[in-house]
Amino acid sequence: MNLSLYSQMMKTNVKTFFGFGIGSAIYVTLMTSLFPMIEDNMEEIEGMMDMFPDALLRALGLETFNNYGQFISAEYYGLFYLLILGVFSVMMAIQLLARFVDRGSMAYLLSTRVSRAQVVITQILVLISGLIIIHILTFGAGFLAGEFLIETESTIAFSEFFEINFVGFLLFFAVGGYSLLISSMFNDERNAFSLAGGLTFLFYGMNMMGKIVTDIEWIRHFTPFSLYEPGKIASGDADVWLSCIILAAIGLISYILAVFIFRKRNLPL
Amino acid sequence: MIQIDNLTQQFSNGKGIFDVTFSVEKGEVFGFLGPNGSGKSTTIRHLMGYMKPQKGQAKIKDLDAWEKQAEARSHVGYLPGEIAFIDGLTGNDFLNMIGGMQGVHNKGRRAELIEKLQFNPKTPIRKMSKGMKQKVGIVATFMHDPDIYILDEPTSGLDPLMQKVFIDLVLEEKAKGKTFLMSSHSFSEIERTCDRAAIIRDGKIVTISNIHELQSMQRKVFNVTLTKQEDVKAILASELKPEKIDDFVVQIELQGNYDTFIHILSRYHVKNISADEQSLEQIFMDYYSREEV
Repeated sequence: MNLSLYSQMMKTNVKTFFGFGIGSAIYVTLMTSLFPMIEDNMEEIEGMMDMFPDALLRALGLETFNNYGQFISAEYYGLFYLLILGVFSVMMAIQLLARFVDRGSMAYLLSTRVSRAQVVITQILVLISGLIIIHILTFGAGFLAGEFLIETESTIAFSEFFEINFVGFLLFFAVGGYSLLISSMFNDERNAFSLAGGLTFLFYGMNMMGKIVTDIEWIRHFTPFSLYEPGKIASGDADVWLSCIILAAIGLISYILAVFIFRKRNLPL
Repeated sequence: MIQIDNLTQQFSNGKGIFDVTFSVEKGEVFGFLGPNGSGKSTTIRHLMGYMKPQKGQAKIKDLDAWEKQAEARSHVGYLPGEIAFIDGLTGNDFLNMIGGMQGVHNKGRRAELIEKLQFNPKTPIRKMSKGMKQKVGIVATFMHDPDIYILDEPTSGLDPLMQKVFIDLVLEEKAKGKTFLMSSHSFSEIERTCDRAAIIRDGKIVTISNIHELQSMQRKVFNVTLTKQEDVKAILASELKPEKIDDFVVQIELQGNYDTFIHILSRYHVKNISADEQSLEQIFMDYYSREEV
């Protein structure tokens, strides 16, 4: 990696990183502040939830609702979090490579003794740094809100809340990975964005469909989103290690492939 | 310093470069002339390691420009033809980043260049005019004191005054023994600095010659305004073979025979002479007509 390129890229993108991070942190805090109210009325809410079809509850991860971890998973990590981070990962991955190639500014990044591999590795580190910033802010806000806003003993255990965030980080490490791989192959920013965005949307949709329609549950084997089940992590039913290993492997392989492909291809600069 | 052998790259639309061969020696300023789309930039992209040759080789200081691209580039100051900067940077941000990537930490040379080109590096790049951006690009190209300069249409966007500053800068570096490859689509842009030039058209090198040879081959067109009808008639009959374009204006095409021109004109009362620059296209036409003969 190249330090000058890294620090300039961080400087250029730091607003985006904090924008997404603070947005996510505020959402977690707001949701957490609603939990005591929900908890007080748990019986009524469960009665109401019985009226919803099971498929919908499964899709939203609302099957069980009795502690904070499951509540925050259902209200944030199971839905909005996936959308926000999905948009972030795809957008950044495309901006960090394909956009520079498309606009021609890659010619400047490749006008010095810094090699193509070094440029790609630096851009990967910028993307990962962004994901880390967002997750630290989200985790920090959720943890602090849990400490100060919830007084009952049902407060989520630190380690489980950490796992929800850590596996989430690895999920988007993987999503960012295949997006950056696509970004490294395309000369046209829009095509790269359509493919990476479309693929992410498809993966997300496959996970949802698999949960709603139990007959086709098998399609969840083909989407990384199924490896992230925050509700199950909260209740201690998830195989966290297996998820971590697979997601990390998808990400790592994608990043390595991206470096190799970008090193070997003709660039229209 | 720069060596290109049988370099070939054909694109899917049939265009490309074919068997391009030339070399640039140390201390030489080499012009690379051709109309837009003729293959100048494609050739330069190979030197910068952006493309893998389908055939042939491009070398910088004996380093393969594809295989050892990063090492080869470390000797080069490159000015891209189309300047595309990164969003949201000021001139200084950009120069800091590129300077860091070049491994230059001494900002003296950079300050000197900014002083010479006269622009404010604190301005955000997106608010800069085309000429200003070109200046930022020129500073980035020259600030790390490379041995070889590869400049793609360097004076586009610069006003005549800055063009002169730029030419002085090139001559200064040339005096230090630096090597230049400069592409252009206009002859007059390079004739003041170049020693030799290659002309490329449709991806093929048409000729490589000394700049003085090219100059003498260049035809110039003069529009001569006379005062009397009989003078017009007399000139039309002369060996200059002029063309009458107006009542008192004749157009004379010259290619080296300036003496005859002056000799004949001295017999008449001339009210005005204006010169038309011959375009590069016409130089090519000369080549083609010569080849056909």
